[in-house]
Amino acid sequence: MKQFLKRLLSSQLMGFVCFLFVWQVLHLLLNTHTVPSPLDTIACFFSIPFVLLKHAGASILRVVVAVALSLLLGIPAGILLAVNKTIKRLFSPLLYFLYPIPKIAFLPVFMLLFGLGNPSKIILIIFIIVFQIMLSVRDGVAQINPIYFQVMDSFCVSPRQRYRYLIVPAMLPNLFSGLRISIGISLASLFFAENYATQFGIGYFILSAWTKMDYVEMFSGILMLGFIGILLFNLLDRLESVCVPWQRRSVDNRN
Amino acid sequence: MDHSSLEQNHIQLDHISFSFGETVVIRDISIALQRGGAYALIGKSGIGKSTLLNLIAGFLKPDSGQVTIEGKQVTGPREQTAFLFQELGLFPWQTVFQAVAMPLKIHGNTSDIPARVLSLLAELHLDQHKDKYPHQLSGGERQRVALARTLVGNPDLLLMDEPTSALDAMTKEELQSLILRQTQARNTTLLFVTHDIEEAVLLGQTILVLNEDGPLSYLENPCFGIQNPRESLAFYDETIQIRTLLRVESR
Repeated sequence: MKQFLKRLLSSQLMGFVCFLFVWQVLHLLLNTHTVPSPLDTIACFFSIPFVLLKHAGASILRVVVAVALSLLLGIPAGILLAVNKTIKRLFSPLLYFLYPIPKIAFLPVFMLLFGLGNPSKIILIIFIIVFQIMLSVRDGVAQINPIYFQVMDSFCVSPRQRYRYLIVPAMLPNLFSGLRISIGISLASLFFAENYATQFGIGYFILSAWTKMDYVEMFSGILMLGFIGILLFNLLDRLESVCVPWQRRSVDNRN
Repeated sequence: MDHSSLEQNHIQLDHISFSFGETVVIRDISIALQRGGAYALIGKSGIGKSTLLNLIAGFLKPDSGQVTIEGKQVTGPREQTAFLFQELGLFPWQTVFQAVAMPLKIHGNTSDIPARVLSLLAELHLDQHKDKYPHQLSGGERQRVALARTLVGNPDLLLMDEPTSALDAMTKEELQSLILRQTQARNTTLLFVTHDIEEAVLLGQTILVLNEDGPLSYLENPCFGIQNPRESLAFYDETIQIRTLLRVESR
C-alpha cells in the first residue's frame, strides 16, 4: 500500500490530479461560466473525441512541418554564425534586432506574400521559432572547449570530420534545449496562426468556441492543446535520450 | 649522444625562434632527437616548454628556423605525431571505445577497428570501461583513455604536456610505467614537458633543461630503463643534479 501511494505521488498522473483539483476549486470560488467545471470539460472532451483529434492532427502537422523547416534553416545558420567571424559580424546585430520583435506583427505581410492557406501559417511559426534555434546552435558551437579543436587538429581531420566528430555532437544538447522552447512557443502561436482562413486546427477550435461563448468546449480544446504538448515533449525526450545519451547518463549519475 | 648533429635524426629543430607579439619565447634553439628515444623537457614556468612542444606538433609556426621530422619540414600537424594534452580533451559524447576508435576512423584504417581497439583497451586495463563516458571514469582512467587514443594509430612521435600533473601519487606511478612500456614496445619517440623532476628522471632517457636565453642543457639519465629506479641511489643523485641545475638557472 505504502509503495502504491509512493508511486502514485511520484507519477505524472498525480500532477494532473492536482491540476484538476485547483481547477475545481477555482470553478467553485469564481462561480462563473467562463471557468467551467473540470468534470463538464472532461465529459465534453470525451463526447467529441474525433472532432478534437481531427483539429489536433491539423495543428500537429503544422507544428512538425514548421519545426522541421526551422531546423533545416536554423542549424546551418547557427553554425555559420559561430564559426565564421564575418557572418557573425554582419548578421549578429540583425539577429538581435529581430529576435525580441513580436513576429506576429508580421502576420499581414505573410498573408499578403503567402496567401491565406497553410503556407502563411507555417511560415509565421517558422519565423517565430527559427531565431531560437539559430541562437541555441550558435551558443552550443561557441561554447566548445578550444582544446577539443586542438585535439581535432592533432588528428589532422578534414572539415567534414571536424563537423562529424566535434561540432555536431557538441551542439546537440543546446539544440534540444532550443527545440523544447521552440515547440512550446509554436504551440502557443497556433492560437494566432489558426485564427484566419481555416476550419482545422486546435487554435481554430478554441477561438471558434470562444466566439460562441461555449466555454466548456473552449476548455476541452485547451485540454487537447495540453495533451499535444505532452505528446510532443515526450517524443522530444525520447529522441534526446537516443541522440544525446551522455547527457542522460550524467543526469542519472547525479540522481 | 650528439644532440645537435644534422645526421639521420628523427626530429631536428634548427635555430628555432618564436615570439608571442613582442615577447620572445623561444630564442635560437637547435635540438636533434633520435628515433625511439625518451626525452623529458624541463625548465622554469613560462620559459617556453609547451610552446616548443606546440612548434614540434605543428600547431605553431616558428618565426625563424625550421622543424623537420623524418627529414620533412613540419608545416602543420602530421598524422604520425600524437599529442597528449594536459587537459586530455576527451569528448563528453564519446564512450571509451568510440574515443579510441576515432583516430582509426579519421585516418581511414577501417579494417578490424573493434579488434584493435579492444586489444589496446585490454592492455591498458580499460576493457571493462569500454561503454562508459568520460564523466563516469576516475582521473587515472580518463588519462589512460587519452593515452590509448593517442597510441591507437601507432604514432612515431608522442608529445605530452604535463601528462600526470593532475593525478595522485599512486595513479601517477602506474601511468608513468604504462607510458614507458607502451612507447618502448612501439619504438615511439617520446618528448614530454614536466614540472616533476622525478617524472623526468623516470621517463626521460635524456633530460633537456630549457634555459632562460634559449639553448638547452642535456643530461643523459643513467637511471633510465633500470629495474625499480626509485630504489636506486643513482635516481636520487640525478634528481639532485637536475634540481641544482634548475636552481642555478633561476639565479
